[in-house]
Amino acid sequence: MNIEQVARETRARDDTTGGARRRWAQEVLALTRRWWIELLRERLNLASSITQPAIWLVFFGAGVGRAIDEDVIGTGDYTGFMLAGIITFTIVGNGVAGAMPLLWDKETGYLDRLMSMPIARSSVIVSRFVFQVAQQTAQILLVVIVAFVLGVRIATGPLGLVVILLTAALLTMSVTAAFSALAYAVPQHGTFFAVAGFVTLPLLFMSNAFVPLDVMPGWMEVVARANPLTYAIETMRTLVLEGWEPRILLSLAALTVAGGLCLALGTWQFRKQTGDRT
Amino acid sequence: MDAVIETSGLRKVFGDNVAIEDLDLHVEAGDVFGLLGPNGAGKTTTIRMLTTLLAPTAGTARVCGFDVATRSSDVRRRIGYVQQTVAYRGLLTGRECVEIEAALYHLPGREIPARAAAVLEAVEMLPHADRRWTTYSGGMKKRLDLACGLLHAPEVLVLDEPTLGLDVQSRHNVWEFVRDRRLGGATILLATNYLDEADQLCNRVAIIDRGRVVVQGSPAELKRSVGADVIEVATPEPERLRRAIESEGWVKNIVAGDQGDLHVYVEDASLGMPAVMRLGLEHNIELGRVTYSQPSLDDVFLLHTGRELREVEMAS
Repeated sequence: MNIEQVARETRARDDTTGGARRRWAQEVLALTRRWWIELLRERLNLASSITQPAIWLVFFGAGVGRAIDEDVIGTGDYTGFMLAGIITFTIVGNGVAGAMPLLWDKETGYLDRLMSMPIARSSVIVSRFVFQVAQQTAQILLVVIVAFVLGVRIATGPLGLVVILLTAALLTMSVTAAFSALAYAVPQHGTFFAVAGFVTLPLLFMSNAFVPLDVMPGWMEVVARANPLTYAIETMRTLVLEGWEPRILLSLAALTVAGGLCLALGTWQFRKQTGDRT
Repeated sequence: MDAVIETSGLRKVFGDNVAIEDLDLHVEAGDVFGLLGPNGAGKTTTIRMLTTLLAPTAGTARVCGFDVATRSSDVRRRIGYVQQTVAYRGLLTGRECVEIEAALYHLPGREIPARAAAVLEAVEMLPHADRRWTTYSGGMKKRLDLACGLLHAPEVLVLDEPTLGLDVQSRHNVWEFVRDRRLGGATILLATNYLDEADQLCNRVAIIDRGRVVVQGSPAELKRSVGADVIEVATPEPERLRRAIESEGWVKNIVAGDQGDLHVYVEDASLGMPAVMRLGLEHNIELGRVTYSQPSLDDVFLLHTGRELREVEMAS
Protein backbone atom coordinates (compact mmCIF):
# COMPACT_ATOMS: atom_id res chain seq x y z
CA MET A 1 0.00 0.00 0.00
CA ASN A 2 1.14 3.47 -0.86
CA ILE A 3 2.46 5.42 2.12
CA GLU A 4 0.40 8.48 1.31
CA GLN A 5 -2.60 6.22 1.61
CA VAL A 6 -1.41 4.98 4.99
CA ALA A 7 -1.20 8.54 6.22
CA ARG A 8 -4.69 9.28 4.94
CA GLU A 9 -6.08 6.16 6.51
CA THR A 10 -4.44 7.05 9.80
CA ARG A 11 -6.25 10.34 9.69
CA ALA A 12 -9.54 8.72 8.77
CA ARG A 13 -9.14 6.36 11.72
CA ASP A 14 -8.23 9.19 14.07
CA ASP A 15 -11.35 11.03 13.03
CA THR A 16 -13.41 8.32 14.59
CA THR A 17 -13.63 8.54 18.36
CA GLY A 18 -12.13 5.15 19.23
CA GLY A 19 -8.54 4.40 20.16
CA ALA A 20 -7.92 7.63 22.06
CA ARG A 21 -6.01 5.80 24.79
CA ARG A 22 -3.82 3.96 22.31
CA ARG A 23 -2.99 7.21 20.51
CA TRP A 24 -2.18 8.88 23.80
CA ALA A 25 0.18 6.06 24.74
CA GLN A 26 1.88 6.38 21.36
CA GLU A 27 2.38 10.11 21.90
CA VAL A 28 3.77 9.71 25.41
CA LEU A 29 6.14 6.97 24.23
CA ALA A 30 7.36 9.01 21.28
CA LEU A 31 8.05 12.06 23.44
CA THR A 32 9.69 9.96 26.16
CA ARG A 33 11.93 8.48 23.47
CA ARG A 34 12.97 12.00 22.57
CA TRP A 35 13.96 12.79 26.18
CA TRP A 36 15.87 9.52 26.50
CA ILE A 37 17.87 10.01 23.33
CA GLU A 38 18.84 13.47 24.51
CA LEU A 39 19.91 12.24 27.95
CA LEU A 40 21.89 9.28 26.61
CA ARG A 41 23.81 11.56 24.24
CA GLU A 42 24.70 13.96 27.01
CA ARG A 43 27.13 11.62 28.71
CA LEU A 44 28.38 14.10 31.27
CA ASN A 45 24.86 15.07 32.26
CA LEU A 46 23.88 11.42 32.46
CA ALA A 47 26.86 10.43 34.63
CA SER A 48 26.54 13.39 36.99
CA SER A 49 22.79 13.05 37.42
CA ILE A 50 22.94 9.34 38.19
CA THR A 51 25.86 9.55 40.64
CA GLN A 52 25.12 12.83 42.37
CA PRO A 53 22.70 11.49 45.02
CA ALA A 54 25.19 8.78 45.99
CA ILE A 55 27.94 11.38 46.33
CA TRP A 56 25.71 13.49 48.57
CA LEU A 57 24.93 10.53 50.76
CA VAL A 58 28.61 9.81 51.29
CA PHE A 59 29.25 13.49 52.01
CA PHE A 60 26.44 13.72 54.57
CA GLY A 61 27.08 10.34 56.15
CA ALA A 62 30.84 10.62 56.49
CA GLY A 63 31.06 14.37 57.13
CA VAL A 64 27.99 16.17 58.40
CA GLY A 65 26.87 13.14 60.39
CA ARG A 66 29.71 13.72 62.88
CA ALA A 67 28.23 17.07 63.89
CA ILE A 68 24.74 15.70 64.47
CA ASP A 69 23.20 15.08 67.88
CA GLU A 70 21.75 11.57 67.91
CA ASP A 71 19.13 12.57 70.50
CA VAL A 72 17.74 15.26 68.19
CA ILE A 73 17.35 13.08 65.11
CA GLY A 74 16.28 10.09 67.20
CA THR A 75 18.63 7.53 65.66
CA GLY A 76 22.31 6.71 65.59
CA ASP A 77 22.09 5.90 61.87
CA TYR A 78 22.53 9.33 60.33
CA THR A 79 23.17 7.93 56.86
CA GLY A 80 19.90 6.01 57.11
CA PHE A 81 18.21 9.16 58.41
CA MET A 82 19.49 11.23 55.49
CA LEU A 83 18.69 8.65 52.79
CA ALA A 84 15.08 9.81 52.48
CA GLY A 85 16.18 13.47 52.47
CA ILE A 86 18.69 12.86 49.71
CA ILE A 87 16.23 10.99 47.54
CA THR A 88 13.93 13.98 47.95
CA PHE A 89 16.71 16.46 47.07
CA THR A 90 17.27 14.46 43.94
CA ILE A 91 13.63 14.63 42.97
CA VAL A 92 13.53 18.40 43.45
CA GLY A 93 16.77 18.80 41.49
CA ASN A 94 15.35 16.63 38.71
CA GLY A 95 12.20 18.73 38.74
CA VAL A 96 14.16 21.92 38.08
CA ALA A 97 16.47 20.30 35.52
CA GLY A 98 13.53 18.46 33.98
CA ALA A 99 11.65 21.66 33.23
CA MET A 100 14.55 22.93 31.13
CA PRO A 101 13.69 21.05 27.95
CA LEU A 102 10.17 22.45 28.26
CA LEU A 103 11.63 25.96 28.54
CA TRP A 104 13.79 25.42 25.45
CA ASP A 105 10.86 24.01 23.52
CA LYS A 106 8.84 27.03 24.45
CA GLU A 107 11.56 29.55 23.63
CA THR A 108 12.78 27.93 20.43
CA GLY A 109 9.25 27.48 19.14
CA TYR A 110 9.25 23.69 19.07
CA LEU A 111 6.36 23.77 21.50
CA ASP A 112 4.31 25.52 18.82
CA ARG A 113 5.16 22.75 16.41
CA LEU A 114 4.00 20.18 18.98
CA MET A 115 0.83 22.12 19.69
CA SER A 116 -0.04 22.29 16.01
CA MET A 117 -0.08 18.48 15.99
CA PRO A 118 -3.13 16.42 16.86
CA ILE A 119 -1.74 15.38 20.25
CA ALA A 120 -3.35 15.42 23.68
CA ARG A 121 -2.26 18.45 25.68
CA SER A 122 -1.28 16.25 28.61
CA SER A 123 1.17 14.13 26.57
CA VAL A 124 4.08 16.53 26.92
CA ILE A 125 3.90 16.80 30.72
CA VAL A 126 3.14 13.11 31.18
CA SER A 127 6.11 12.14 28.99
CA ARG A 128 8.36 14.27 31.20
CA PHE A 129 6.91 12.51 34.22
CA VAL A 130 7.48 9.03 32.78
CA PHE A 131 11.03 9.97 31.78
CA GLN A 132 11.88 11.44 35.16
CA VAL A 133 10.49 8.50 37.10
CA ALA A 134 12.67 6.17 35.01
CA GLN A 135 15.73 8.36 35.50
CA GLN A 136 15.26 8.73 39.23
CA THR A 137 14.62 5.02 39.72
CA ALA A 138 18.17 4.48 38.48
CA GLN A 139 19.41 7.22 40.79
CA ILE A 140 17.58 5.82 43.81
CA LEU A 141 18.76 2.26 43.21
CA LEU A 142 22.34 3.48 43.07
CA VAL A 143 22.05 5.56 46.23
CA VAL A 144 20.42 2.64 48.06
CA ILE A 145 23.30 0.37 47.04
CA VAL A 146 25.80 2.95 48.30
CA ALA A 147 23.80 3.25 51.55
CA PHE A 148 23.91 -0.53 51.88
CA VAL A 149 27.70 -0.46 51.52
CA LEU A 150 27.78 2.23 54.22
CA GLY A 151 25.85 -0.10 56.52
CA VAL A 152 22.24 1.09 56.06
CA ARG A 153 19.69 -1.75 56.07
CA ILE A 154 16.16 -0.90 54.95
CA ALA A 155 13.94 -2.08 57.81
CA THR A 156 11.12 -3.14 55.47
CA GLY A 157 13.38 -5.02 53.07
CA PRO A 158 13.00 -5.28 49.25
CA LEU A 159 9.25 -4.66 49.37
CA GLY A 160 9.99 -1.48 51.34
CA LEU A 161 12.35 -0.42 48.53
CA VAL A 162 9.54 -0.88 46.02
CA VAL A 163 7.28 1.34 48.14
CA ILE A 164 10.11 3.90 48.39
CA LEU A 165 10.30 3.98 44.59
CA LEU A 166 6.52 4.42 44.36
CA THR A 167 6.59 7.19 46.94
CA ALA A 168 9.33 8.91 44.96
CA ALA A 169 7.21 8.63 41.81
CA LEU A 170 4.26 10.14 43.64
CA LEU A 171 6.34 13.11 44.80
CA THR A 172 7.73 13.46 41.28
CA MET A 173 4.19 13.99 40.06
CA SER A 174 3.90 17.08 42.29
CA VAL A 175 7.37 18.39 41.55
CA THR A 176 7.32 17.83 37.77
CA ALA A 177 3.88 19.35 37.43
CA ALA A 178 4.75 22.37 39.59
CA PHE A 179 8.03 23.17 37.81
CA SER A 180 6.43 22.54 34.41
CA ALA A 181 3.69 25.01 35.35
CA LEU A 182 6.38 27.50 36.32
CA ALA A 183 8.26 26.89 33.06
CA TYR A 184 5.13 27.63 31.05
CA ALA A 185 4.08 30.60 33.16
CA VAL A 186 7.31 32.62 33.12
CA PRO A 187 8.03 35.04 30.28
CA GLN A 188 11.60 33.73 29.78
CA HIS A 189 14.05 31.23 31.24
CA GLY A 190 15.88 33.79 33.40
CA THR A 191 12.72 34.23 35.46
CA PHE A 192 12.35 30.48 35.77
CA PHE A 193 15.81 30.05 37.25
CA ALA A 194 15.37 33.03 39.57
CA VAL A 195 12.12 31.63 40.96
CA ALA A 196 13.33 28.02 41.03
CA GLY A 197 16.54 29.05 42.81
CA PHE A 198 14.52 31.08 45.28
CA VAL A 199 12.10 28.28 46.23
CA THR A 200 14.28 25.16 46.05
CA LEU A 201 16.39 25.58 49.18
CA PRO A 202 13.57 26.87 51.44
CA LEU A 203 11.49 23.95 50.18
CA LEU A 204 14.17 21.57 51.46
CA PHE A 205 14.93 23.41 54.71
CA MET A 206 11.25 23.84 55.49
CA SER A 207 10.78 20.10 55.47
CA ASN A 208 11.91 17.30 57.75
CA ALA A 209 14.88 16.51 55.47
CA PHE A 210 17.46 17.60 58.03
CA VAL A 211 15.47 17.90 61.26
CA PRO A 212 12.56 15.77 62.52
CA LEU A 213 9.22 17.58 62.79
CA ASP A 214 8.88 17.17 66.57
CA VAL A 215 12.08 19.08 67.38
CA MET A 216 11.23 22.03 65.07
CA PRO A 217 10.01 25.38 66.42
CA GLY A 218 6.20 25.49 66.25
CA TRP A 219 5.89 27.86 63.28
CA MET A 220 8.39 25.84 61.26
CA GLU A 221 6.51 22.66 61.92
CA VAL A 222 3.34 24.28 60.56
CA VAL A 223 5.17 25.25 57.37
CA ALA A 224 6.79 21.83 57.10
CA ARG A 225 3.45 20.10 57.43
CA ALA A 226 2.13 22.03 54.45
CA ASN A 227 5.13 20.91 52.39
CA PRO A 228 4.60 17.77 50.26
CA LEU A 229 8.31 16.95 50.64
CA THR A 230 7.70 16.28 54.33
CA TYR A 231 5.25 13.47 53.57
CA ALA A 232 7.54 11.81 51.06
CA ILE A 233 10.46 11.98 53.51
CA GLU A 234 8.27 10.78 56.38
CA THR A 235 7.18 7.73 54.38
CA MET A 236 10.59 6.81 53.08
CA ARG A 237 12.36 7.44 56.40
CA THR A 238 9.88 5.28 58.30
CA LEU A 239 10.35 2.48 55.76
CA VAL A 240 14.15 2.71 56.10
CA LEU A 241 14.51 3.16 59.87
CA GLU A 242 11.41 1.71 61.50
CA GLY A 243 9.16 -0.61 59.52
CA TRP A 244 5.58 -0.86 58.29
CA GLU A 245 3.91 1.85 60.37
CA PRO A 246 0.25 2.81 59.75
CA ARG A 247 1.15 6.52 59.47
CA ILE A 248 2.75 5.73 56.12
CA LEU A 249 -0.74 5.47 54.66
CA LEU A 250 -1.63 8.94 55.90
CA SER A 251 1.54 10.41 54.39
CA LEU A 252 0.88 8.69 51.07
CA ALA A 253 -2.65 10.06 51.06
CA ALA A 254 -1.32 13.59 51.66
CA LEU A 255 1.19 13.11 48.82
CA THR A 256 -1.53 11.93 46.48
CA VAL A 257 -3.61 15.02 47.22
CA ALA A 258 -0.58 17.27 46.64
CA GLY A 259 0.18 15.44 43.39
CA GLY A 260 -3.39 15.88 42.17
CA LEU A 261 -3.33 19.60 42.99
CA CYS A 262 -0.01 20.22 41.28
CA LEU A 263 -1.09 18.26 38.22
CA ALA A 264 -4.27 20.34 37.99
CA LEU A 265 -2.15 23.50 38.33
CA GLY A 266 0.33 22.31 35.70
CA THR A 267 -2.36 21.33 33.22
CA TRP A 268 -4.17 24.61 33.74
CA GLN A 269 -1.03 26.66 33.17
CA PHE A 270 -0.16 24.56 30.15
CA ARG A 271 -3.55 25.08 28.57
CA LYS A 272 -3.47 28.76 29.37
CA GLN A 273 -0.01 29.28 27.94
CA THR A 274 -0.45 27.15 24.86
CA GLY A 275 -3.94 28.38 24.11
CA ASP A 276 -3.18 32.03 23.71
CA ARG A 277 0.46 32.89 23.38
CA THR A 278 1.74 35.68 21.24
CA MET B 1 -14.33 24.61 -5.86
CA ASP B 2 -14.47 24.04 -2.13
CA ALA B 3 -12.96 26.54 0.23
CA VAL B 4 -10.17 24.87 2.16
CA ILE B 5 -9.55 27.93 4.30
CA GLU B 6 -12.31 30.42 4.90
CA THR B 7 -12.18 33.28 7.37
CA SER B 8 -14.86 35.79 8.04
CA GLY B 9 -14.47 38.95 10.10
CA LEU B 10 -11.46 37.43 11.79
CA ARG B 11 -10.02 39.68 14.47
CA LYS B 12 -7.24 39.39 17.01
CA VAL B 13 -6.51 41.90 19.73
CA PHE B 14 -3.55 41.80 22.12
CA GLY B 15 -4.28 44.26 24.92
CA ASP B 16 -4.74 47.60 23.13
CA ASN B 17 -3.08 46.43 19.96
CA VAL B 18 -5.35 45.29 17.16
CA ALA B 19 -3.18 42.79 15.32
CA ILE B 20 -5.80 41.55 12.87
CA GLU B 21 -8.87 43.51 11.85
CA ASP B 22 -11.79 42.05 9.96
CA LEU B 23 -9.87 39.54 7.89
CA ASP B 24 -11.70 37.69 5.14
CA LEU B 25 -9.72 35.04 3.30
CA HIS B 26 -10.87 32.44 0.84
CA VAL B 27 -8.42 29.73 -0.16
CA GLU B 28 -9.55 27.01 -2.54
CA ALA B 29 -8.35 23.45 -2.91
CA GLY B 30 -5.14 23.31 -4.92
CA ASP B 31 -4.29 26.96 -4.36
CA VAL B 32 -0.87 28.18 -3.46
CA PHE B 33 -2.14 31.15 -1.56
CA GLY B 34 0.30 33.87 -0.56
CA LEU B 35 -0.07 36.15 2.44
CA LEU B 36 2.18 38.99 1.40
CA GLY B 37 3.07 41.88 3.62
CA PRO B 38 5.81 43.54 5.63
CA ASN B 39 6.96 42.31 9.04
CA GLY B 40 4.36 43.08 11.65
CA ALA B 41 1.53 43.15 9.10
CA GLY B 42 -0.23 40.27 10.88
CA LYS B 43 0.80 37.31 8.72
CA THR B 44 2.08 35.16 11.55
CA THR B 45 -0.83 36.07 13.82
CA THR B 46 -3.20 34.98 11.05
CA ILE B 47 -1.31 31.72 10.61
CA ARG B 48 -1.27 31.07 14.35
CA MET B 49 -5.03 31.39 14.43
CA LEU B 50 -5.44 29.10 11.43
CA THR B 51 -3.15 26.50 13.00
CA THR B 52 -5.15 26.64 16.28
CA LEU B 53 -2.23 28.06 18.27
CA LEU B 54 -4.06 31.29 18.99
CA ALA B 55 -7.74 31.82 19.71
CA PRO B 56 -9.42 34.51 17.57
CA THR B 57 -10.85 37.49 19.48
CA ALA B 58 -13.79 37.65 17.10
CA GLY B 59 -14.91 36.28 13.75
CA THR B 60 -14.62 32.76 12.46
CA ALA B 61 -12.00 30.73 10.65
CA ARG B 62 -12.59 27.35 9.08
CA VAL B 63 -9.93 25.00 7.82
CA CYS B 64 -11.14 22.05 5.73
CA GLY B 65 -14.61 22.89 6.95
CA PHE B 66 -13.74 22.76 10.67
CA ASP B 67 -13.89 25.77 12.92
CA VAL B 68 -10.44 26.44 14.42
CA ALA B 69 -11.91 27.41 17.77
CA THR B 70 -14.35 24.56 18.34
CA ARG B 71 -12.91 21.73 16.22
CA SER B 72 -9.22 22.33 16.73
CA SER B 73 -8.26 18.64 16.82
CA ASP B 74 -9.88 18.04 13.45
CA VAL B 75 -8.02 21.03 12.06
CA ARG B 76 -4.68 19.85 13.48
CA ARG B 77 -5.05 16.46 11.82
CA ARG B 78 -5.37 18.12 8.44
CA ILE B 79 -2.66 20.73 8.51
CA GLY B 80 1.07 20.52 8.16
CA TYR B 81 2.58 23.58 9.76
CA VAL B 82 6.13 24.71 9.13
CA GLN B 83 7.07 27.55 11.39
CA GLN B 84 9.06 30.63 10.56
CA THR B 85 11.87 29.79 12.97
CA VAL B 86 13.57 26.43 12.63
CA ALA B 87 12.36 24.06 15.32
CA TYR B 88 15.10 23.22 17.82
CA ARG B 89 15.73 19.48 17.92
CA GLY B 90 18.76 19.17 20.17
CA LEU B 91 20.88 16.06 19.92
CA LEU B 92 18.59 13.97 17.75
CA THR B 93 19.42 12.80 14.25
CA GLY B 94 17.27 13.89 11.35
CA ARG B 95 15.70 10.45 11.07
CA GLU B 96 14.90 10.30 14.78
CA CYS B 97 13.20 13.71 14.62
CA VAL B 98 11.03 12.57 11.74
CA GLU B 99 10.19 9.19 13.27
CA ILE B 100 9.19 10.74 16.59
CA GLU B 101 6.91 13.19 14.86
CA ALA B 102 5.45 10.42 12.72
CA ALA B 103 4.45 8.69 15.96
CA LEU B 104 2.94 11.96 17.20
CA TYR B 105 0.76 11.91 14.10
CA HIS B 106 -0.27 8.39 15.12
CA LEU B 107 1.09 6.62 12.07
CA PRO B 108 1.16 2.86 12.69
CA GLY B 109 4.56 1.85 14.11
CA ARG B 110 5.41 -0.59 11.31
CA GLU B 111 4.81 2.10 8.66
CA ILE B 112 6.91 4.75 10.34
CA PRO B 113 10.39 3.87 8.96
CA ALA B 114 9.12 3.83 5.38
CA ARG B 115 7.16 7.02 5.80
CA ALA B 116 10.10 8.78 7.46
CA ALA B 117 12.37 7.74 4.59
CA ALA B 118 9.83 8.93 2.03
CA VAL B 119 9.46 12.44 3.45
CA LEU B 120 13.22 12.75 3.93
CA GLU B 121 13.66 11.71 0.31
CA ALA B 122 11.13 14.34 -0.75
CA VAL B 123 13.39 17.08 0.61
CA GLU B 124 16.61 15.33 -0.43
CA MET B 125 17.66 14.80 3.15
CA LEU B 126 17.83 11.02 3.09
CA PRO B 127 21.63 10.93 2.64
CA HIS B 128 21.99 13.08 5.79
CA ALA B 129 19.27 11.36 7.80
CA ASP B 130 21.57 9.77 10.36
CA ARG B 131 23.59 12.85 11.16
CA ARG B 132 22.76 14.83 14.23
CA TRP B 133 20.51 17.83 13.79
CA THR B 134 23.15 20.13 15.35
CA THR B 135 25.50 19.42 12.42
CA TYR B 136 22.97 20.57 9.79
CA SER B 137 23.20 23.88 7.96
CA GLY B 138 20.31 26.36 8.16
CA GLY B 139 18.95 25.19 4.81
CA MET B 140 19.07 21.53 5.87
CA LYS B 141 17.27 22.29 9.12
CA LYS B 142 14.56 24.06 7.17
CA ARG B 143 14.25 21.10 4.81
CA LEU B 144 13.88 18.77 7.77
CA ASP B 145 11.04 20.94 9.09
CA LEU B 146 9.41 20.82 5.67
CA ALA B 147 9.73 17.03 5.64
CA CYS B 148 8.02 16.82 9.02
CA GLY B 149 5.18 18.93 7.68
CA LEU B 150 4.47 16.21 5.12
CA LEU B 151 4.37 13.20 7.45
CA HIS B 152 0.63 12.82 7.71
CA ALA B 153 -0.08 13.78 4.08
CA PRO B 154 -1.85 16.96 5.21
CA GLU B 155 -4.62 18.50 3.17
CA VAL B 156 -3.19 21.94 3.79
CA LEU B 157 0.43 22.89 4.16
CA VAL B 158 0.98 26.11 6.08
CA LEU B 159 4.40 27.64 5.51
CA ASP B 160 5.35 30.72 7.49
CA GLU B 161 8.17 32.60 5.73
CA PRO B 162 9.76 29.37 4.53
CA THR B 163 12.79 31.01 2.94
CA LEU B 164 13.57 33.61 5.58
CA GLY B 165 17.31 33.77 6.20
CA LEU B 166 18.18 31.06 3.67
CA ASP B 167 20.87 31.30 1.01
CA VAL B 168 19.90 31.45 -2.64
CA GLN B 169 20.40 27.74 -3.27
CA SER B 170 18.30 26.70 -0.26
CA ARG B 171 15.69 29.20 -1.24
CA HIS B 172 15.34 27.63 -4.66
CA ASN B 173 15.12 24.21 -3.02
CA VAL B 174 12.16 25.42 -0.99
CA TRP B 175 10.52 26.88 -4.08
CA GLU B 176 11.00 23.58 -5.85
CA PHE B 177 9.43 21.85 -2.86
CA VAL B 178 6.36 24.10 -2.99
CA ARG B 179 5.94 23.52 -6.72
CA ASP B 180 6.19 19.76 -6.24
CA ARG B 181 3.55 19.81 -3.50
CA ARG B 182 1.29 21.83 -5.71
CA LEU B 183 1.63 19.36 -8.53
CA GLY B 184 0.77 16.66 -5.99
CA GLY B 185 -2.51 18.44 -5.34
CA ALA B 186 -1.80 19.99 -1.94
CA THR B 187 -3.26 23.30 -0.90
CA ILE B 188 -0.58 25.62 0.41
CA LEU B 189 -0.84 28.76 2.48
CA LEU B 190 2.42 30.64 2.32
CA ALA B 191 3.29 33.77 4.26
CA THR B 192 6.12 35.79 2.84
CA ASN B 193 7.53 39.27 2.68
CA TYR B 194 9.43 38.51 -0.49
CA LEU B 195 7.64 39.86 -3.54
CA ASP B 196 9.41 37.60 -5.99
CA GLU B 197 8.51 34.58 -3.89
CA ALA B 198 4.81 35.41 -3.96
CA ASP B 199 5.06 36.20 -7.66
CA GLN B 200 6.88 32.97 -8.52
CA LEU B 201 4.93 30.52 -6.40
CA CYS B 202 1.42 31.74 -5.70
CA ASN B 203 -1.60 31.59 -7.90
CA ARG B 204 -3.44 33.84 -5.46
CA VAL B 205 -2.14 36.52 -3.15
CA ALA B 206 -3.63 38.58 -0.36
CA ILE B 207 -1.63 41.68 0.41
CA ILE B 208 -1.78 42.42 4.13
CA ASP B 209 -0.83 45.61 5.86
CA ARG B 210 -1.44 46.62 9.49
CA GLY B 211 -3.73 43.68 10.14
CA ARG B 212 -6.00 44.19 7.16
CA VAL B 213 -6.24 42.67 3.69
CA VAL B 214 -5.45 45.51 1.34
CA VAL B 215 -6.24 43.65 -1.85
CA GLN B 216 -6.37 40.07 -3.07
CA GLY B 217 -6.26 38.30 -6.40
CA SER B 218 -3.86 36.49 -8.67
CA PRO B 219 -0.45 38.17 -9.04
CA ALA B 220 -1.20 38.82 -12.71
CA GLU B 221 -4.57 40.44 -11.93
CA LEU B 222 -3.08 42.56 -9.22
CA LYS B 223 -0.31 43.75 -11.47
CA ARG B 224 -2.74 44.48 -14.30
CA SER B 225 -4.78 46.61 -11.90
CA VAL B 226 -1.72 48.84 -11.46
CA GLY B 227 -1.62 49.80 -15.14
CA ALA B 228 0.52 48.57 -17.96
CA ASP B 229 3.91 50.07 -17.12
CA VAL B 230 5.61 52.03 -14.38
CA ILE B 231 8.02 54.88 -15.01
CA GLU B 232 10.18 55.78 -12.04
CA VAL B 233 11.55 59.29 -12.12
CA ALA B 234 14.09 60.60 -9.62
CA THR B 235 13.89 64.37 -9.31
CA PRO B 236 14.64 67.01 -6.67
CA GLU B 237 11.28 68.62 -7.45
CA PRO B 238 8.73 65.79 -7.49
CA GLU B 239 5.75 68.06 -6.75
CA ARG B 240 6.45 70.38 -9.68
CA LEU B 241 6.87 67.41 -11.97
CA ARG B 242 3.62 65.92 -10.72
CA ARG B 243 1.75 69.16 -11.52
CA ALA B 244 3.41 69.28 -14.94
CA ILE B 245 2.28 65.86 -16.03
CA GLU B 246 -0.81 64.93 -14.02
CA SER B 247 -3.29 66.43 -16.48
CA GLU B 248 -1.89 64.47 -19.44
CA GLY B 249 -4.27 61.89 -20.84
CA TRP B 250 -1.67 59.09 -21.01
CA VAL B 251 -0.94 59.30 -17.26
CA LYS B 252 -3.07 56.79 -15.37
CA ASN B 253 -1.81 57.44 -11.86
CA ILE B 254 1.07 59.04 -10.00
CA VAL B 255 2.29 57.87 -6.62
CA ALA B 256 5.20 59.30 -4.66
CA GLY B 257 7.85 56.78 -3.68
CA ASP B 258 9.60 56.87 -0.37
CA GLN B 259 12.78 58.55 -1.60
CA GLY B 260 11.35 61.58 -3.33
CA ASP B 261 10.92 59.77 -6.61
CA LEU B 262 7.69 59.55 -8.58
CA HIS B 263 6.06 56.39 -9.87
CA VAL B 264 4.14 57.31 -13.00
CA TYR B 265 1.72 54.63 -14.20
CA VAL B 266 1.19 54.72 -17.95
CA GLU B 267 -0.35 52.66 -20.72
CA ASP B 268 2.89 52.31 -22.65
CA ALA B 269 6.27 53.26 -21.26
CA SER B 270 7.95 53.52 -24.67
CA LEU B 271 5.78 56.57 -25.36
CA GLY B 272 5.49 57.76 -21.78
CA MET B 273 9.22 58.01 -21.06
CA PRO B 274 10.02 60.56 -23.79
CA ALA B 275 6.86 62.47 -22.90
CA VAL B 276 7.85 62.74 -19.23
CA MET B 277 11.32 63.92 -20.23
CA ARG B 278 9.96 66.47 -22.68
CA LEU B 279 7.54 67.92 -20.10
CA GLY B 280 10.34 68.03 -17.54
CA LEU B 281 12.52 70.06 -19.90
CA GLU B 282 9.68 72.37 -20.91
CA HIS B 283 8.99 73.21 -17.25
CA ASN B 284 12.67 73.45 -16.48
CA ILE B 285 12.52 70.64 -13.92
CA GLU B 286 15.76 68.80 -13.26
CA LEU B 287 15.37 65.08 -13.87
CA GLY B 288 17.67 62.48 -12.40
CA ARG B 289 17.36 58.83 -13.27
CA VAL B 290 14.38 57.82 -15.42
CA THR B 291 13.67 54.09 -15.58
CA TYR B 292 10.73 51.97 -16.45
CA SER B 293 9.57 48.51 -15.42
CA GLN B 294 6.72 46.11 -15.73
CA PRO B 295 4.57 46.52 -12.64
CA SER B 296 5.58 44.30 -9.74
CA LEU B 297 3.70 43.32 -6.61
CA ASP B 298 5.66 46.12 -4.96
CA ASP B 299 3.81 48.55 -7.19
CA VAL B 300 0.56 46.91 -6.12
CA PHE B 301 1.53 47.39 -2.49
CA LEU B 302 2.53 51.00 -3.13
CA LEU B 303 -0.68 51.71 -5.00
CA HIS B 304 -2.84 50.43 -2.14
CA THR B 305 -0.87 51.51 0.93
CA GLY B 306 1.08 54.55 -0.27
CA ARG B 307 4.27 52.86 0.95
CA GLU B 308 6.80 50.63 -0.69
CA LEU B 309 7.12 47.16 0.74
CA ARG B 310 10.90 47.23 0.38
CA GLU B 311 11.10 50.49 2.30
CA VAL B 312 8.85 49.17 5.06
CA GLU B 313 11.20 46.20 5.31
CA MET B 314 14.27 48.44 5.55
CA ALA B 315 12.67 50.50 8.30
CA SER B 316 11.82 47.45 10.33
